Amino acid sequence: MQEKAWGLYVHLPFCRRKCFYCDFASYAGREAQMAAYVRVLGEELAREGGALLRRYGPPRTIYLGGGTPTALPPARMEELLSALHPFLVGGADGAALAREGSGAAGEGTHQRRNGGSADEAVPAQEVTCECNPGTVDAAYLALLRAGGVNRLSLGVQTLDDALLARIGRIHTAAEARAAVRLARAAGFRNISLDLMYGLPGQTLAGLRESVRAAIALAPQHLSIYGLMVEPGTVFAREQAQGRLALPSEEESEAMYNFMTTALPAAGYARYEISNFARPGFASRHNLGYWQDVPYLGVGAAAHSYLGGQRYENLAGIDDYLAAMAASGSARREEEPLTRATSMEEFAFLALRTVRGIEKARFAARFGCSLRSVYADVIDRLAARGLLVEDAETVHLTPLGMKYGNWAFEAFLLDE
Amino acid sequence: MSNKNIRNFSIIAHIDHGKSTIADRLIERTGTLTKREMEDQVLDNMDIERERGITIKSQTVRLHYEAQDGEAYELNLIDTPGHVDFTYEVSRSLAACEGALLVVDAAQGVEAQTLANVYMALENDLEIIPVINKIDLPSADPERVKKEIEDVIGLDTSNAIECSAKTGQGIDEILEAIVADIPAPEGDASAPLRALIFDSYFDSYKGVIAHIRVKEGRIKKGQRLKMMATGKVFEVTDVGCFRPQPVDLGGLAAGEVGFVAGSLKDVRDVRVGDTITTAEKGAAEPLPGYRGVNPMVYCGLYPVESSDYDNLKDALEKLQLNDAALVFEPETSVALGFGFRCGFLGLLHMDVVQERLEREYHLKLITTAPTVIYHVFKTDGTMVKVSNPSELPPPTEIEHIEEPYVKATVIVPSDYVGAVMEISQEKRGEFKGMDYLDTNRVMITYHIPLNEIIFDYFDRLKSATRGYASLDYELADYKESKLVKVDILLNGDPVDALSTIVHKDRAASRGRALAAKLKEIIPQQMFEIPIQAAIGSKIIARENVRARRKDVLAKCYGGDISRKRKLLEKQKEGKKRMKAVGSVEVPQEAFMAILKID
Repeated sequence: MQEKAWGLYVHLPFCRRKCFYCDFASYAGREAQMAAYVRVLGEELAREGGALLRRYGPPRTIYLGGGTPTALPPARMEELLSALHPFLVGGADGAALAREGSGAAGEGTHQRRNGGSADEAVPAQEVTCECNPGTVDAAYLALLRAGGVNRLSLGVQTLDDALLARIGRIHTAAEARAAVRLARAAGFRNISLDLMYGLPGQTLAGLRESVRAAIALAPQHLSIYGLMVEPGTVFAREQAQGRLALPSEEESEAMYNFMTTALPAAGYARYEISNFARPGFASRHNLGYWQDVPYLGVGAAAHSYLGGQRYENLAGIDDYLAAMAASGSARREEEPLTRATSMEEFAFLALRTVRGIEKARFAARFGCSLRSVYADVIDRLAARGLLVEDAETVHLTPLGMKYGNWAFEAFLLDE
Repeated sequence: MSNKNIRNFSIIAHIDHGKSTIADRLIERTGTLTKREMEDQVLDNMDIERERGITIKSQTVRLHYEAQDGEAYELNLIDTPGHVDFTYEVSRSLAACEGALLVVDAAQGVEAQTLANVYMALENDLEIIPVINKIDLPSADPERVKKEIEDVIGLDTSNAIECSAKTGQGIDEILEAIVADIPAPEGDASAPLRALIFDSYFDSYKGVIAHIRVKEGRIKKGQRLKMMATGKVFEVTDVGCFRPQPVDLGGLAAGEVGFVAGSLKDVRDVRVGDTITTAEKGAAEPLPGYRGVNPMVYCGLYPVESSDYDNLKDALEKLQLNDAALVFEPETSVALGFGFRCGFLGLLHMDVVQERLEREYHLKLITTAPTVIYHVFKTDGTMVKVSNPSELPPPTEIEHIEEPYVKATVIVPSDYVGAVMEISQEKRGEFKGMDYLDTNRVMITYHIPLNEIIFDYFDRLKSATRGYASLDYELADYKESKLVKVDILLNGDPVDALSTIVHKDRAASRGRALAAKLKEIIPQQMFEIPIQAAIGSKIIARENVRARRKDVLAKCYGGDISRKRKLLEKQKEGKKRMKAVGSVEVPQEAFMAILKID
C-alpha cells in the first residue's frame, strides 16, 4: 500500500423541503427511497471506496453532503455510518472509542463543554457532516459523533426568522442556536456555520445582526455565500414574475465588504474566497478540491476526480438506483482533461485560496513554470490590481477575490 | 451541338417570388439530377443562402432537353440573385444570355425589383418570357398580375405562362417556351476566340475557375489562352459545363456557357468582365466588359485578434475574386488597430461578406457602423471623399459637404401611401412622383439620402406597411447637406471607430440616443465608465456605465468543478467579441449601435 491523500464525498440527495434558492441535486418527499438508497450507497462505497482504501489507505477527509444528510432517519444514518466505518482512521477501534465516549453525551453536556483536548479538535482525519438545524436533536448528534463524525457544517444561513421563512428554510434562528449548543454538548469541537447574503429583503443592518449573532455562537469555521438566482428554482420563478426584490448591487457589495472585514476582525481568517476559520480549522476537505487532491464521490450526482480524470454520477435518485442495479455503477466519465484544461483548473482552483497557486507545485505537476504558460495573464491581472506574484506564489488580492470570476476566466487558455 | 439547339437564359425576379424553386423544377424535369440527388434550392449551395432563403451568387447549370419538336436542346440556365444589393450579379449574368424568364408572384404582383431587373434585361436586348408563379395560392390573381405587367412594364403578356413551381404545373410549358421564344446564340466558332468572364471562384485543387460565355471561336483542353486585360497566359486543364457540378467536356464553342480552369493560381489574374482569347493569333479587340460597380456603403473590418490581420487580408482577397463589388483598403484606427475599410453594395452585402469571413475563414471580426461616401469640399478649393467619419477634416477647413442621394422606388398598396410619405419625409426625402399600378397599388418615388436608407428606412417601411412595401433604389446624385460629426468619448477619450456623421438638425438627438444605447451595450466593468457624445468640443450628452460591484462565485458543490468551468467558459465566450479600447472592454455591437437607435 502506498499512502496517498484522497478525499471521500458521500452525497445524500434528500431534503425535508427544497429551499427557494437551491438547484443542487436534492429532492423532497422521497423518504420511501431512503432505505434502498443507503443500501446501494453502501455497495458503491464498499466497491469503489474499498479499492482506494486498499491502495492508498484511509481518506484524509470524509464529507457527507447533500441535500440534507441529516434528513435520514437515525436508523438509516447509523447504517450509513457503519458502511463508512472501514474508512475511518484506526478502523473499528477508533470508532468504537468514539462510540463509548458518546455514551454519556446526552447528560454530560456541561462537563464536556470546553473539555475537548487540542488533539481531539484537530484529529488526523476530518469527517464532516452537513446538517440542517431543523433536523437534529441530541440523540441524533450523538449518533453522528459516535459514528466517527468530528466536524459539523450547519446550514444556518441567517439568524433572522422572517428571512429564514422567506428563503424556504425549515428551521428558526432559535433552532439554529440550539443545534450549535447540542452539537457542542455531543462532543463536536469543530463546527462550521453557513451564512448567506444578498437575500431578498435582507439589509446590511440585518446582516450585521446575523453575523454578530453567528460569531457569538463561537463556531470554529464560517462560510459565506452570496445568493445566486439559479434557473429552475422558486426564486427564478419569482424573479421572472417580478416578485423577487433583491438588494441592490451596492447593498450586496456593502454586505460582502462587511463580512470580509468583520469575520477576520473577529478572529476568523479568510483562507479561501468564501471561507473563514479559526487557526487550524480550515476545511481540509474543501481545500482538497482547490489543491488538486483526488477524491471519490459516491451517491447520486456525486463527482469524483481520480487519476486526473473527472467523473460524475447520475443525478436523479431513480436514475442512480437503476444504473447501480443494472451495472453496479452510475458513474460517467466527464470530458477528459487535456494538459491545457488541467493547467487551467489547477490555476483557477488554487486561486480561490488565499495562498494561491504555488509555483513549485505547478512546475512539479506540469514540468514547466507557471510563467511560461501564464506570464501575460499574470502581468495583466497584476496591473489591474487583481493579483500579486511573490517568490513562491501567485495569489489574488482582496480586490481580485471580489472579482474572482474575472481573474479565473483569464486563466482559461485559448484553444 | 449546333448553335441553333442552344439556349442561354436567366431567371429574374423580385426576392421571394420563387426563382430558385423554378430552377429546381427545371433541373428535375430535364433529368439533370435525379429525384434522389435533388435538394431544395440546389443552386443555392452556400450555407448562408440556404439558411436565409436567398440567392447571393449567380449559378450556372446546363440542362439537356428533348423538346416536343423531337430535337435535343442544350439549355444553359443562370440563376441570379433577387436582392437589390446583388443587382450587379444579375447584370453580369444577363450579358451571357439571350433571354430571361421574368418570374412574378401571382399573388403579390410586380414589385420594386421586378422593375429593376426587367429594365436591365431590356438594356441587354433579352427576350423576356413572363412567368406567373404560385398560381396554386388561394390569393393568386394571375389576370391582375398580367395586367400590371402590361401596364407598368409594357410587356406583352399574351405568351405569359402560369405556373406553380410547387406543384410542377406549367414547367413543361416553360421549357417549350424557352426553346420556342428565346433566340439561339449567334457567333462564329471559326473566328478567333473571345469568351466573356462573368464570374469566377477559387477551388483549392484547381485554382481559379472562370465562368464564361464563349462569344466567338472555341476553347480546347491543353490550349494556351490569354486574359486580354491582365495579359496573363495560361494553359487550359479543365473546360466544361456545370450540371450543376463541374463536368469536364474537353472543349466549349461559340454560343456555349461553361467554365474554364488552368494554371490560374492568383485570384488577381482573373477579372470578371475580362475577355479570354488565345495566346497566339488572338482576337484584336476585347468584348465590351461591364460597367464597374461602385460600392455604396463602407465600413471598417478589424480582426478581434490583431495577429489575424494577414488572414483577414487573405480572406478578403479570396472573397473579392467572385465578388467584384467588394473593395477594401488598409486603414488604421486608434481604437481598433489595423484593419480594412471595405466597400459594399448595401447592408445585406456587408452582412453576407462579414458572415462568410467568419464562417468560411474562421475569423473573429469587429465591424464598424456602415457609412456612405461624403464629398467634402474644403476651403482651399479641393474636394476629398470621406467614407470614414473619423477622417472628416476639422469644421474650419470645410466649405461644404455633399452626400449621396438615391432615387428610391417604393411599391405599396394604396392604403399605405400616407405611411410611406410620412417616413420618407422624416428621412429627409424629396417627393418625386406617384403612379397607380392598378386601383390598389401605388409606386412612389423619392429622392432620399443614402445615409438614411442604410439606417432603418426599409425596416420602418416594412413595419409601417405590414410588410407590403417593396423597395428598390439606385444612386441619383450628390447634394449639399448640413452635416456634422458626432464623436463619442469613453472614459474621457474619443473613440474614432464610434464617430458618426449626421445631419445637423438631428445631431443632438442622435448623440443622446447613441450615448444611451452604448450605456445598454457596454457591460459593467470594475470602474465607472462615462460615455459622452460631442460635436467638436461641445459635449451634447453624457451617460454612465456604473461599476460592477463584485463578481464572486461562491459555492462549489460536492467537487463539481466542471460546472464552475462551464460558467467561466460561458463568461469568456461572452467577452470574445470585445475589444479593449483603452481600459474599457467594448463589445462588437457597440460599433453598430448607431444603427439600433430610433
